[in-house]
Amino acid sequence: MAAEFAARSPVQTGKTMGARQMKTFDKLAWTRREALERGLAAFAASGAVFGFTRAALADDTLAEVKKRGVLSTATEMQFPPFDISDNGTYKGVDRELIDAVAKEMGVKASYLDLPWTSVLPGLEAKKFDLCIAPVTITKERMKHYAFTVPIADATAALMKRANDKSIMKPEDIAGKAVGGQKGTSQLAQLKAFAAKLPKPVEIKEYVDNNQASADLAAGRIDATVNSLPNLAYAANQRSDTFAVVLPPFGEPTYFSWVGRLEDKSLIDAINAAIVKLDEDGTMASIQKEWFGQAVALPKTVPEPTI
Amino acid sequence: MKPEVILHSFSYLTRAAATTVAVSFAGIIFGFAIGALVCAARVSRRPWLRRAGAVYISVFRGVPLLVQLLFIYYFLAEYGLDVPAIVAAVGALALSSAAYQAEILRGALNAVPHGQGEAATALGFSGLDIWRRVLLPQALRISTPPLISEFILLLKASSLVSVVGIAELTRVSMNIASETYRPLEAYLAGGLFYLAINLCLAALGALAERRLGTPSAR
Repeated sequence: MAAEFAARSPVQTGKTMGARQMKTFDKLAWTRREALERGLAAFAASGAVFGFTRAALADDTLAEVKKRGVLSTATEMQFPPFDISDNGTYKGVDRELIDAVAKEMGVKASYLDLPWTSVLPGLEAKKFDLCIAPVTITKERMKHYAFTVPIADATAALMKRANDKSIMKPEDIAGKAVGGQKGTSQLAQLKAFAAKLPKPVEIKEYVDNNQASADLAAGRIDATVNSLPNLAYAANQRSDTFAVVLPPFGEPTYFSWVGRLEDKSLIDAINAAIVKLDEDGTMASIQKEWFGQAVALPKTVPEPTI
Repeated sequence: MKPEVILHSFSYLTRAAATTVAVSFAGIIFGFAIGALVCAARVSRRPWLRRAGAVYISVFRGVPLLVQLLFIYYFLAEYGLDVPAIVAAVGALALSSAAYQAEILRGALNAVPHGQGEAATALGFSGLDIWRRVLLPQALRISTPPLISEFILLLKASSLVSVVGIAELTRVSMNIASETYRPLEAYLAGGLFYLAINLCLAALGALAERRLGTPSAR
């Protein structure tokens, strides 16, 4: 941080000097002071040097990662099938994908388990390099974070109790209670969807998805909202209790990993690795293993629809 | 009920319980040290020290532990002070517990009859000896039951340190619940671990009371 600041000031000095320099040309007479200023301006105008250094300093996370040999990442390990902590071992789609990405980059990945509410603050506080929790790409979030190319489908869908015959399509939740995780884009999509239904939907917000699915099993709510891959996995794990309501009701959206806006070179390197894994079939085999089927993903960061 | 869910994750839970115990005990010990100092400031003859002690207690007792944790871990990092997670966790537990422990100790000191200090002075004890041989042993005896309660509260409050990425007992129970979709089994197991640890703490407390000769322990 200090280094970045130190590097930034010469560039700004360069700008002001530039303005003064114009004035001295107008006068066509150089006092000693002006000569000094001009000298400094020329020095700053070698400028590219500073501009370059600054960009390199602000954007040196990639170099730092390579030097360390470790890409440090964080996620909440409570998001199956993406992030699972199985008897203390980190597993899931994100784990397999980030390991492959790190290998492409010639480094090792380290993983930190943080509650979701701490993940993005931790990224901003530079406690780690990359958030590998799947984050839905939205317009609002794009202003604050750098998204990688999509790693999975994030279209919002509903899950009900397996024995509940009253919900056969998404519109059937009219007049019923639905729960979801606070602060997720899927919950926001549910609210927009519910507003268009003939009868009001009672929406309950939970700290995490576990509590929503626990309440669904206990009969306190009639459905939960989440991304289709998460729900498909949950329904598969407890097929006696849960079933997915098809088709998904939400706009097509995607999950990406996120980094800091200034770490462009790191995000570019990760994107290149993800695209390569997509092309060589690694992505498809990970998808088949965890989702049961392979889904084609965009190779660039798509324009968010929500 | 599916007990095999817990058996599968038993070593994970044990490791998490060990983390909870380690973080909490470090918090208790540092908290006691800081708390004793704050209490000493609070009963000092110097008004500015008394005021400083009171301010410390107001701040660390008045701000939620979660906020203190987030402040130490994330806010200080914005200003270039990168506090490791474990230091932030133990530090926040110790700083906040110290405020409560200081008040417990002060209460206990006030409960020692005033005449005892005067009697010791009359018998020619030096100031230090009055503290060491008369006031502190009795205050410690009186403060044992509330201190043990504070330790148990702190151990349970240590579930908050998961916000800085420490895999303690509550967090791990949640991880197991999300992995297995069996929340009941996972939280029940987590709860039993807490109960077991706290029963040990209470037993240690009872032992301490007998050693110190707290009247009701006989």
